[in-house]
This record gives sequence, C-alpha cells and structure tokens, in this order.
Amino acid sequence: MKAVLTQNLSKTYTGSKNAVDHIEFSLEQGEVFGFLGPNGAGKTTTIKLLCGMLAPSEGSCRVFDLDPAQNPEKLHQLSGVITEHAQMYDHLTGLENLVFYGTLFGVNAAECEKRANVLLERLGLVDAQDRKLAAYSTGMRQRLSLARAMIHSPRILFLDEPTSGLDPESAQNVNSLIRELSVDGTTIFLCTHQLRYAQEICTTYGLIDEGTLLATGNIQRLRAMVFSGVVVHVKASRMPDGLVYQKTGEHTYDITVNSEDEIPPIVKGIVEAGGNIYHISTHRMSLEEIYFSLIDRRKAGKEGENDE
Amino acid sequence: MKMMNRMQLALMKKDIRGITSNKQVFSVMLMVPLALTIILPSIFVFVTVLVPDTTSDFQKLLEMLPSTEQIGNQKQMILGLLLNKIMPVFFLMIPIMASSVMAASSFVGEKEKHTLETLLYSPLSLKQLFQSKILASFSVSMMVSFISFAAMIVVMEIEVLLLTGSAVMPDLSWMIIMLLIAPSISLVAISITVRGSAKAQTIEEAQQRAVFLVFPIIALVIGQFTGIIMVSTWILLGLGIVLPLIAALLVKGSVGKFTYEKLLR
Repeated sequence: MKAVLTQNLSKTYTGSKNAVDHIEFSLEQGEVFGFLGPNGAGKTTTIKLLCGMLAPSEGSCRVFDLDPAQNPEKLHQLSGVITEHAQMYDHLTGLENLVFYGTLFGVNAAECEKRANVLLERLGLVDAQDRKLAAYSTGMRQRLSLARAMIHSPRILFLDEPTSGLDPESAQNVNSLIRELSVDGTTIFLCTHQLRYAQEICTTYGLIDEGTLLATGNIQRLRAMVFSGVVVHVKASRMPDGLVYQKTGEHTYDITVNSEDEIPPIVKGIVEAGGNIYHISTHRMSLEEIYFSLIDRRKAGKEGENDE
Repeated sequence: MKMMNRMQLALMKKDIRGITSNKQVFSVMLMVPLALTIILPSIFVFVTVLVPDTTSDFQKLLEMLPSTEQIGNQKQMILGLLLNKIMPVFFLMIPIMASSVMAASSFVGEKEKHTLETLLYSPLSLKQLFQSKILASFSVSMMVSFISFAAMIVVMEIEVLLLTGSAVMPDLSWMIIMLLIAPSISLVAISITVRGSAKAQTIEEAQQRAVFLVFPIIALVIGQFTGIIMVSTWILLGLGIVLPLIAALLVKGSVGKFTYEKLLR
C-alpha cells in the first residue's frame, strides 16, 4: 500500500486558474518527501487536498488507501498536520494544549500526559510547558505544533514549513526528530522553501510551480533531468594543453566531466605537464541549483510559448 | 461510540473553560443578566412599594387581568404581575444573549484565533464537532439562565418580604420559561450564530446576527406596557411548543450545511 497516491489531482478555486494542475506522484511508507516550490505554487492546496479539507476538482488522491474527501475522520486519525493557520489555544499552557489535542484524538489523559512530556523534552520545551501559550515565541509555538501533530503517533505527517521561525539549533533538532520518525516508519510530507534544509532530510522530492509538478524523484533523478555531470574545481600552477577547462580565477579552473572516473587522468595530465596541484574538489548540482534551473527552464519555456 | 463521546466531551469542556477564563467576554455575559434579574426587578419592587402614585400606571395592565386575579392587596398584585408577567419577557433576553455570545466565541472565536483549522484535522467529524460546540454553548446558556433565575428569585423575595411582609410566588409561566422557552430560544440563537459563523470573520460580526432575536422580545415588552398584548401562560406555552420546533429545524439545517472548504475560506 502506498502512503500517498495522487492521480491527475487538480483543484480549481472558483474564478481562478488551477491551483493544482493534474499532478501525479506516489510515496512509499517511511519516505521523507520534500514538496518544494515558490509561494503560491500549490503546496498548501495539495496538503489540504490530501487531508480532505478540499475536494479535488478533478482526479483523485488516496492516503493509506483512504479517500480523504470521503473518509476525512479516518484519515485524520492516521495523520498529523502542521500548517501556518493551524494554531493552538493561547489561554492554555503548552502541556494543557497537548493533552487537549491528544484527548481529541482518543488518547486517554494519562497517556497524553506521558507522551506530551516525552515530546516536550525532545523539543526542548520542558521549561515552558506550564506557561500559557500566549507567552510563547514563534519558534516555541512552532515546536509545540510539531509536538501537537505527533501526540497521537500518526503514520503520516504533513508539515507545511515546520522550521519557519526556528533558530538554527532548534531547526537542527527538528530535523533529527523527523529523521528518527522516518526510520520508525512514519511517512513525512514536507513543504518548504528552505532547500538546503530539505536536502538534509528528504529522501525524495517533488518540485511544483504554478500548480504544475515539474519533477519528482530522488536527488539523482532530479539531477539527471538537469545535468548529471560533475564539476571539478582545480587549483594548479599550470594546465596541460588540450584539456578543456574554464578559468575561474588566478590558477583556478573548472573542468566538467561526465563521471568521477575521468578525474584521475586529468590529475595525471596536469602532473605530467609539470604542474603543481594545490587543490582539487568535485561539485555536484545541489538541490538548490537543480530547483532554480528547473524553475528557470519552465519560465523560459513559457516565454517561448508567449513569443510564438 | 463511547470514545467519540469522550472526544466530544473534551472539546465541550475546553469551550466552556475558554469562555469562563476569558474575563472580558465572561463579564459581559454576566453583567446583562445581573442587570436584568437583580437591578431591574429591584427598581420595580422599590418603586411599587415605596412610591404610592406609580400604581396608576399599572392600572391598564391590572384591568386586563382576569377578575379572579384581582382579589387581594393591590401592591401584592402588582408585585405578582411584575414577577410573573413582566419579568419573564425581560428574562428571555438572558438565554438569547448568553448563547449567542458563547456560540460566537466558540465558532468564530476559533476561526479568528486560527484554532479552527487545527480542530478540523482531528478525527471528529464536522457533525460531531458542531454537536459538541452547540452543546457547550447550550450548557453555558442554561447555566447562566438558571443562575440568573435563582438570583432574581432570591433577591426579589428578600426585598418583597422585607418591604411587604409576605412573599410573591413564581407561577406556572416560569416553569414553561425555564424548561421550554429558555432552552429552545437558546438553541435558536445558537443556530443563527452558527449559520453566520461560516461567513463572519470576527466574533462581533457573528454576535450581531443573533441580536435581531431580541427585537421580538422588545416588541413583547412594549406591547405589554402599552396594553396591546398580555403575556399569558397560553402565549408562553404556544411559544414553548413552536420555538423547539424552529430550534430543531435550524440546528439540523446549520449542522448539515458546512463543509471543510466553506469553513476554512
């Protein structure tokens, strides 16, 4: 059974164009899926479709083989959701909030408290647990939201920008928590703008722009869509004749190769030509570079269409 | 089913606690009943007992009473009239107000504070969510109504006893009010507020929708003072039968009407 499966999933809000336009992808259980795209790309709409908050205009989606539009209550029992607008009660303390939401999911009060204590400890909120939520900072609220989404031990977590407003240390902490969860089999659906952060924890990705899914797959697959080669940075006193390179500075050069196997002959060539090598490193396209390249490519494609 | 009830109960308890811990809203909710059930009847009682001339103003009302009720001390009669014919109409504003304030804070308040979406992600169905919220508003409204009623009776009886030496007894109309009309008018006010809650973005906006329910009450008050209508047990009983039907229809209609999409807009 797939954790998430969408087929031709589309959502059109009345009087506007498609917020989500015929997207298809599937997630295995335990996958950490990074759903990436600019603001207004359709990420939050997709989460809402997958949680049954919106009914698809066309196509379908299934989460653990449940149709979110038909069986939202059953699905909510299995899922934890963090979105910008899913806040908690200011007049309750951190602990009271967690216990309340736990009870709402059918967990008994004693068990709720036990789980809440573990989560508060894990997210560094123990000192603040008896403080009213009104006194919490943005980062603390965000961490408490994560605890709230996990209080009923869901099988899938939908996280919309879970690290926005977090300091680097807390973000790191949340990252390792997400990784632990995925090791234990929890599927994570993560929407974010922070691409470096996504690259740290996600196993697969989906790139969306203006409702259209541009690419899905793991980083190798995405890289293959743009450029699968390796760029070798070299700092050497001289370069042999006949080698194709790009000079990037004084004695620094970039050489593009198709695979790492091509690197030793290059090194040999430089040495044999009498050059001294001071530095050599390889660089593969990061998620960020792939992302921008795919988004740019789409923009260029659209401009091309318009010109015709 | 039992677990579901426990989940709904948790939500109800949270809602009730939410309103009682919000001093600003709760004080408004208590202030008006206090004015209506303690200050207003006290003024009436003191005026009736201590200022002899005012009795003539009640002459019209007294004339409308069946002749059997006209036996006995005139002041005592006026006080009886006050408790059993005038106060019931004023009293009806209490459940209307309490339930609409509570319903607005319970529905639109969640929307305003962005906590509604979190509730929607819970395994409670929309119907169960609404049931719990309606029940929470209803409980608070009935609580406020019964406390107000008790406060009114205690204060009035003490005043009347001290000033005239004998008590005035609440009659059948109060039973109809407390057991039939107050609960059903609360439900009507709640369902009107709930119906508006999908569109309303602020608590105030949602409360305003229930305000027009007060107009028929004001009409009754004016009608009574000008002698056009006399609020009799029969009128109350009639209301007591019609209102629950309206309430049932409205509640059913408002619960079935919502979808997640409409609520999150």
